[in-house]
Amino acid sequence: MPYLGSEDVVKELKKALCNPHIQADRLRYRNVIQRVIRYMTQGLDMSGVFMEMVKASATVDIVQKKLVYLYMCTYAPLKPDLALLAINTLCKDCSDPNPMVRGLALRSMCSLRMPGVQEYIQQPILNGLRDKASYVRRVAVLGCAKMHNLHGDSEVDGALVNELYSLLRDQDPIVVVNCLRSLEEILKQEGGVVINKPIAHHLLNRMSKLDQWGQAEVLNFLLRYQPRSEEELFDILNLLDSFLKSSSPGVVMGATKLFLILAKMFPHVQTDVLVRVKGPLLAACSSESRELCFVALCHVRQILHSLPGHFSSHYKKFFCSYSEPHYIKLQKVEVLCELVNDEDVQQVLEELRGYCTDVSADFAQAAIFAIGGIARTYTDQCVQILTELLGLRQEHITTVVVQTFRDLVWLCPQCTEAVCQALPGCEENIQDSEGKQALIWLLGVHGERIPNAPYVLEDFVENVKSETFPAVKMELLTALLRLFLSRPAECQDMLGRLLYYCIEEEKDMAVRDRGLFYYRLLLVGIDEVKRILCSPKSDPTLGLLEDPAERPVNSWASDFNTLVPVYGKAHWATISKCQGAERCDPELPKTSSFAASGPLIPEENKERVQELPDSGALMLVPNRQLTADYFEKTWLSLKVAHQQVLPWRGEFHPDTLQMALQVVNIQTIAMSRAGSRPWKAYLSAQDDTGCLFLTELLLEPGNSEMQISVKQNEARTETLNSFISVLETVIGTIEEIKS
Amino acid sequence: MIGGLFIYNHKGEVLISRVYRDDIGRNAVDAFRVNVIHARQQVRSPVTNIARTSFFHVKRSNIWLAAVTKQNVNAAMVFEFLYKMCDVMAAYFGKISEENIKNNFVLIYELLDEILDFGYPQNSETGALKTFITQQGIKSQTKEEQSQITSQVTGQIGWRREGIKYRRNELFLDVLESVNLLMSPQGQVLSAHVSGRVVMKSYLSGMPECKFGMNDKIVIEKQGKGTADETSKRCLSGKQSIAIDDCTFHQCVRLSKFDSERSISFIPPDGEFELMRYRTTKDIILPFRVIPLVREVGRTKLEVKVVIKSNFKPSLLAQKIEVRIPTPLNTSGVQVICMKGKAKYKASENAIVWKIKRMAGMKESQISAEIELLPTNDKKKWARPPISMNFEVPFAPSGLKVRYLKVFEPKLNYSDHDVIKWVRYIGRSGIYETRC
Repeated sequence: MPYLGSEDVVKELKKALCNPHIQADRLRYRNVIQRVIRYMTQGLDMSGVFMEMVKASATVDIVQKKLVYLYMCTYAPLKPDLALLAINTLCKDCSDPNPMVRGLALRSMCSLRMPGVQEYIQQPILNGLRDKASYVRRVAVLGCAKMHNLHGDSEVDGALVNELYSLLRDQDPIVVVNCLRSLEEILKQEGGVVINKPIAHHLLNRMSKLDQWGQAEVLNFLLRYQPRSEEELFDILNLLDSFLKSSSPGVVMGATKLFLILAKMFPHVQTDVLVRVKGPLLAACSSESRELCFVALCHVRQILHSLPGHFSSHYKKFFCSYSEPHYIKLQKVEVLCELVNDEDVQQVLEELRGYCTDVSADFAQAAIFAIGGIARTYTDQCVQILTELLGLRQEHITTVVVQTFRDLVWLCPQCTEAVCQALPGCEENIQDSEGKQALIWLLGVHGERIPNAPYVLEDFVENVKSETFPAVKMELLTALLRLFLSRPAECQDMLGRLLYYCIEEEKDMAVRDRGLFYYRLLLVGIDEVKRILCSPKSDPTLGLLEDPAERPVNSWASDFNTLVPVYGKAHWATISKCQGAERCDPELPKTSSFAASGPLIPEENKERVQELPDSGALMLVPNRQLTADYFEKTWLSLKVAHQQVLPWRGEFHPDTLQMALQVVNIQTIAMSRAGSRPWKAYLSAQDDTGCLFLTELLLEPGNSEMQISVKQNEARTETLNSFISVLETVIGTIEEIKS
Repeated sequence: MIGGLFIYNHKGEVLISRVYRDDIGRNAVDAFRVNVIHARQQVRSPVTNIARTSFFHVKRSNIWLAAVTKQNVNAAMVFEFLYKMCDVMAAYFGKISEENIKNNFVLIYELLDEILDFGYPQNSETGALKTFITQQGIKSQTKEEQSQITSQVTGQIGWRREGIKYRRNELFLDVLESVNLLMSPQGQVLSAHVSGRVVMKSYLSGMPECKFGMNDKIVIEKQGKGTADETSKRCLSGKQSIAIDDCTFHQCVRLSKFDSERSISFIPPDGEFELMRYRTTKDIILPFRVIPLVREVGRTKLEVKVVIKSNFKPSLLAQKIEVRIPTPLNTSGVQVICMKGKAKYKASENAIVWKIKRMAGMKESQISAEIELLPTNDKKKWARPPISMNFEVPFAPSGLKVRYLKVFEPKLNYSDHDVIKWVRYIGRSGIYETRC
């Protein structure tokens, strides 16, 4: 395997590269160089043969040149002094009669990411900008941007910028587009390349000569241009018309965005554009290129937010086919959910019902949630379908249906009766925490309408000792107390038993506190309990708050054709927020101010959690060393949030692991000595919101796996998952180094 | 802009890695492997965000191609670029497989060098690229070739170089369609569409001007206006023209002319290219009808009968017909009787696969099977996946017909009649499913 044998391999290759017999034989020489590149790709450190590779660059063989240059661009930052030796050859190549060699040399020279190279590349770039071969000009133009990036924050070279602006009139379309890209990067501090009227019109006229990448890029730059008059605006729109029908979906979307932005004062034009891209978008949605199809579906959903009826007549296009990948099916279900109307609701529901029995549990659940979403408008039909699904007695279906019911009675109180009738018997098919919570909540709040509610709850009380989820126990306490208020005779005895258990035997602090709280509340008197627990049982206004009616097109036009519709607005906000924070101040503390206020109604709690941006992006704060004492205290007080095992073989050095973890800002608190069995390590880390991650690594003797347990002081699954993936990466890497 | 491009095999080993921008580190290669390739759940999205870096991936057989960026880019464009990359690679070495990639890795690095610079897509036309790629070893170039590079890149028409000569002027037109169907058990069409491509291979000298005509409804009606009689006759004689929902063209087609006159005229690139791509949803000829009958006999037995009917001219022959009838997971044994072709129960795929080599139009064939089931206490009902079908037919299910393809080359002395033209129609099944 590469990592360990690295030195031998380097030695051997070095010998081969120096061997005059091999150097004399072009093919053999090239083969050796190919091997170097191959090892480089695999991640082996090949910087040891830099000297020999520099020598190999002096050749007439273009393939060999290309390979050597690729090598040099990778390792130049590590060996800047040796790389300078290569500059001579590169400079010579920059004046080769063959334009291909000139371009290649210039490109490679600009890509040598090492300090001090600027002074050597400046002249060749300037020559390149005036080269008669457009191939070289293309390279030179981008070279300007590369040179600027190397300089870092140095001043902008005015003469160069002017030269680039004048090259916007170049004959070759790719040179033109590269100029725009290059200027954009050089002038980033000043807000990017300026698109004034002559430039805008020049670009518009050249559009048809560009290839699809160029077109997409130019459409993006044109967003910056503000037409002076209405007349000019419509002239531009007319010019751009044909791009709405381009064969490249990327260009179509780019053109659509430009239309939407330019016509932001003319809603009817916007609507008209959206009608016209309907065809291309639908074509992309049913195309065989699945990834494109996914992107198109994301944009369809975006459009539906503003124009709910837009795709209604094409709803059948969004029916899932059996062999489509998972991610497309999920998107299609979302789309179906949004374009339901009076005419097609029957067919759509019929279709969704079919998905509910899909083999993929994930997809089935998504379909059930979708029916739940439609139920807010078409309650009766949906509740009927959901009730029928309960009859299948499938665990994964029942749990989701019950959760849907819980959300539904909160928003649409009129369906309570039907839901209550459907509930009896469900408890046999629910095993997971979410489903149990939902069922118990329903039984507690609407228990007076369900004849056997006390007996179902009694089963839960009997088995409370073996219940693993604290959240279920909490829910059970609240529900039983509520039911006790409406049906005291049947509940008194078991309420007593449950409270006794929670106060005397329960180990989870939160559950115990909840038990004590209710106990004291009961001591105050039954009226007080009623006042506190009998909150409203539904809140139809919440539904309206949740999906604000049609959003204007202008609210998302600037996000169209970016990653925002793909990730979803909330997720994107966290990603870009973190990116901003990284640039300004990484240690800015962010506290969520409203996390603990408000009544403890579970439903509302749930809504709030959903509103909080699901922060998939994780930022660990460096140098947050905890004391061993504090760690121990925190560790003991928390529950394990996540546990998993990774494959692990043989021996390793704990220091390597510690170093590797340090790199990703995970601190090691304590660690067993190397070779001891069982081997343990305790790690801690903190992210930028102040959430702590405590971890235990455990290697059992004779076991070929490493057990990881993670605890978290704030329960947030998104960040937890990213933390675990960071950990996995590190451990995976160490594992690789060993083998 | 694209910060880096990686190619992995199915195990997650890096076959190719090329980084274009400084902000993409070496750890990005590992992050994608750990989070996506080695992830236990199904892929939830082709775009993955890991530590504020976006990974766009495409899978070809068991090869993963991933483009990486930190910018807020235009997702459709990145995927198009990856497709283009696959096309270019396929044009050079055929199928994209681990072996091919390993054998051609120098070539791929060369390609990546030319197609992307500093993360920006450059020239990606296979034809134009050929001049820059030297995978066949050194060629000390002649003066002529050198000037060709310059002229081609500065020339007015990016997709064709001047001075092409052939002894025999020849062109091939392939109408390739894939017909997609989703049918309910009762035989009701839930959705059907045809996505088609017209692929042209041109071996023509000089700078020929071509004009392509097909039975597009709008054109036919326009021409028919003068003679009302003829139009009505056409309508009576069945489906003569087709309604195209939308179509897109290769860069070389003059869109302005298409918009005004709906005529398709162009100067073709040399060699193979995709002239147009279209989609139709109306009046599709469904080449096959599948009629399923599933009967559950008790708890341990299923009876399945499937009839397929071919629905096209008796003189035509469909080929490579394959019907895939899914069976429940607890199947213990299957007995199959079919009138035509061969049928086999494949336990590993949980399906009965029925293959027929050839079948003429307006014929009917049937298969019946008895499926023995193991009694299970699993209450889960069998989800009954749809019956899917594969086939190839020698006509266009959309009804598209090529009416003419005229070639004019004013400067050279060959006329439209001298050009040898070949037209071929192939209809294949896309996702062709009947629920049962």
